[in-house]
Amino acid sequence: MRAIKQGQWAVLLWPYLLITSIPLDCRDEQGGLSRCPSISQEKLLDRVIQHAELIYRVSEESCSLFEEMFIPFPLQLQRNQAGYPCITKALPIPSSKSEIQQISDKWLLHSVLMLVQSWIEPLVYLQTTMNRYDGVPDMLLNKTKWVSEKLMSLEQGVVVLIKKMLDEGMMTTTYNEQGLFQDDGQPEMLEYVMRDYTLLSCFKKDAHKMEILLKLLKCRQNDIHSCA
Amino acid sequence: MRKVLEVILLLLLLVFTHAKGTRYSPPGKPALTRCRSPEKETFTCWWEPGSDGGLPTTYALYYRKESSDTVNECPDYRTAGENSCFFNKNDTSIWVNYNITVVATNALGRTFSDPVDIDVVYIVKPNPPEQVAVTVMEDKGWPFIRVSWEPPHKADTRSGWITLMYEIRVKLEEENDWETHLAGQQKMFNIFSLRSGGTYLVQVRCKPDHGFWSEWSSSSYVKVPDYFHREKSVWILITVFCAFIFLIVTWLLHMNSRSLKHFILPPVPGPKIKGFDKQLLKNGKSEEVFSALVVSDFPPKSSNYEDLLVEYLEVYIPEEQELMLEKSMDLDVSCLKSEGSTSDSDSGRGSCDSHTLLMHKCDGVKEGRERQAEEARRHQKDWKEEASTYSNVDSSPDMSSGRVKTWPSVFSPLPRYSSNQQGSLETAKQHYLSDSLFRPSSTSSCHTQPGHGATEALGPSYWECGLSNKQPHLLHPQGQAQRQLQAHSDDNISSIGRKPTPAGLPSPALRSTEYVEVQRVNEEDMVLLQPVSGRCGDVEGYPQVPHGEDYSKVKGVDGDNMLLLQREVREETGNCDTPSTVATTQKPTTCIHSAMPVQGEAVLGVNGYVDTATVFTLPTY
Repeated sequence: MRAIKQGQWAVLLWPYLLITSIPLDCRDEQGGLSRCPSISQEKLLDRVIQHAELIYRVSEESCSLFEEMFIPFPLQLQRNQAGYPCITKALPIPSSKSEIQQISDKWLLHSVLMLVQSWIEPLVYLQTTMNRYDGVPDMLLNKTKWVSEKLMSLEQGVVVLIKKMLDEGMMTTTYNEQGLFQDDGQPEMLEYVMRDYTLLSCFKKDAHKMEILLKLLKCRQNDIHSCA
Repeated sequence: MRKVLEVILLLLLLVFTHAKGTRYSPPGKPALTRCRSPEKETFTCWWEPGSDGGLPTTYALYYRKESSDTVNECPDYRTAGENSCFFNKNDTSIWVNYNITVVATNALGRTFSDPVDIDVVYIVKPNPPEQVAVTVMEDKGWPFIRVSWEPPHKADTRSGWITLMYEIRVKLEEENDWETHLAGQQKMFNIFSLRSGGTYLVQVRCKPDHGFWSEWSSSSYVKVPDYFHREKSVWILITVFCAFIFLIVTWLLHMNSRSLKHFILPPVPGPKIKGFDKQLLKNGKSEEVFSALVVSDFPPKSSNYEDLLVEYLEVYIPEEQELMLEKSMDLDVSCLKSEGSTSDSDSGRGSCDSHTLLMHKCDGVKEGRERQAEEARRHQKDWKEEASTYSNVDSSPDMSSGRVKTWPSVFSPLPRYSSNQQGSLETAKQHYLSDSLFRPSSTSSCHTQPGHGATEALGPSYWECGLSNKQPHLLHPQGQAQRQLQAHSDDNISSIGRKPTPAGLPSPALRSTEYVEVQRVNEEDMVLLQPVSGRCGDVEGYPQVPHGEDYSKVKGVDGDNMLLLQREVREETGNCDTPSTVATTQKPTTCIHSAMPVQGEAVLGVNGYVDTATVFTLPTY
């Protein structure tokens, strides 16, 4: 049953690859002919939101897969038990609706960008650690890889969006100095598992955050296609 | 006193307690069943109490947020009903893990439930959609249902806080199966393909992009009006049309039932014996049956039994010819069986005597004109060959017996080819001069004669073709006949000349041989021959298929050893009785015409047939 569901998601995902193949960043300022077609702000925002939705779905699937395979049942219900906080804890994103809705557009975008940028490296790291496990299904590895790739393109999109919406220039991928996991000696296998599981869960949550923030941003726009 | 009373009470209590057994116990373990948030802003948790242990038990819910260590108690136990805890907006934080525990407390102790971690974002289950409106609308005469709704009022879709997806299901009132449609994020949906006059139930539900499906909204009823069934009318037309065709076919079958029956089940021919009466047989009187079979007029009581005998004209054949004959006979033996039409009215004719043996090749008659041409050529050759050796009528030995055999040697398919048609024509001319027949009948028939007689019947066909409208009565006017014959022979020869080129000439089924029927033998040892023609009066260009061969009936033999042949016409139209004379010796014969049909005449007691082909061999030099 789960495999079927995963298969369905996989089928859903692959067409979206086409979306990301078009580069979002067209260098118009550097003169000359711009080879890629420029995209309107609304469309760009829609695409960014689609990206975020997809990333969330895939991360949700990966998390459940991982949980099924490696986490013993008693521990499943207790999350964040092992004491590994989410790496993005430090990010100042409010947790109540009223507060979130008070965030300005600018801050919404910046928050999203921060989130995206802070997860790029851990996901790469996660790919390497995944291979350590015995019997890791290829699907899980593929999903993780896919997510990390899409995250990078999402970052690009958000950067362009910031440039368009806020008229700000931005540098891409300022790596977060914090939040890198370090191997402390030779911990047990369970430690690894729990750590990775926490990582996946945290990422899943942050993907949802990105999605919500972007949707809020979208529905604030005063155009016909905004949310009903 | 008082102390005693207290002790007694305590004892009573204890006894009472013991009497009832160990009923009181700490409360059983409660369990959190579910927590749900309808709009991602508040949420409620429900639990299931365990056994209360017989004592009044109180339940308390404690939670701890992810980031802090403080344990808080549920702020609201009442809003959501019994055994529930409601968290309002102020107490709800999203993207934060809540660790919730329920504690049951009674007089004897307290019991903790298993803790549950929840994140509000993942437990969203919205309320059902509201304001479901169902209307019937029309699209080019076909009705459809338009369903529209609103999201639940609590869910904030306007700001994008929640994104909802909808689903509709429809069913007919009297049925049990629902038809579900996914509507995406739109708030309106059309349903087509409705049953006219039916009542439909419509329900809608929604789901956030990550969350649980809501409950179905309450059913909305809608009645589809009766609409004109254009489909049905088409079917009615088709049915009527098919019924109509069916009736016609039935009627046709009925009309032709008999012929159909014959076609499908052909009747088995039963024995039909003339004079055989089934009834007599059923009656069981065999004598009567057999007597009925006896034909009164058989055997014929005619005293002139000679009429019945078939006489043949015997023709002398030189040895070479005999060999050839035998060869041809071998060839044609097989043909005999296939040649049904070779049977003629003459009885007693042996197979050897059958002209068809010699004259017809197996496929001669049925082949094309090329065959005829070939044969014609051959025959011409033969005559040329036979110029010196012609068959004579050998009258002496067999005449007495009244049987004359004719050997159509001339028409044996000798494999000699004559390239010189002209030469053969010359000789033929000579033959024709003497052997021509006058034909008083229509010219048209005469002209066509040569056409069909392309084979050996050059002579006889010439005969037939005779000379139209010429003097029919030429008994022995040899000179005149000759002259006339000459005149006509030219025509005929030319026509004969045409014969070998039978292009365009019809009747491949013509007999190659023609017979001359011997009528009688007169006292001077002359065989009266009578050519029998069945072709007089044929339609021009298309001679009839002869039943048999053409016979020349011999009328008589005159003193010069000439056979008087008489042609006889059996059709109404033709009246080509052209008797001809065939010389029994080498003398040319003349045509003799008699207007009387020979059939009625029993002049010669013998109905002899002579192969007219042989007639032409006679007058060799």
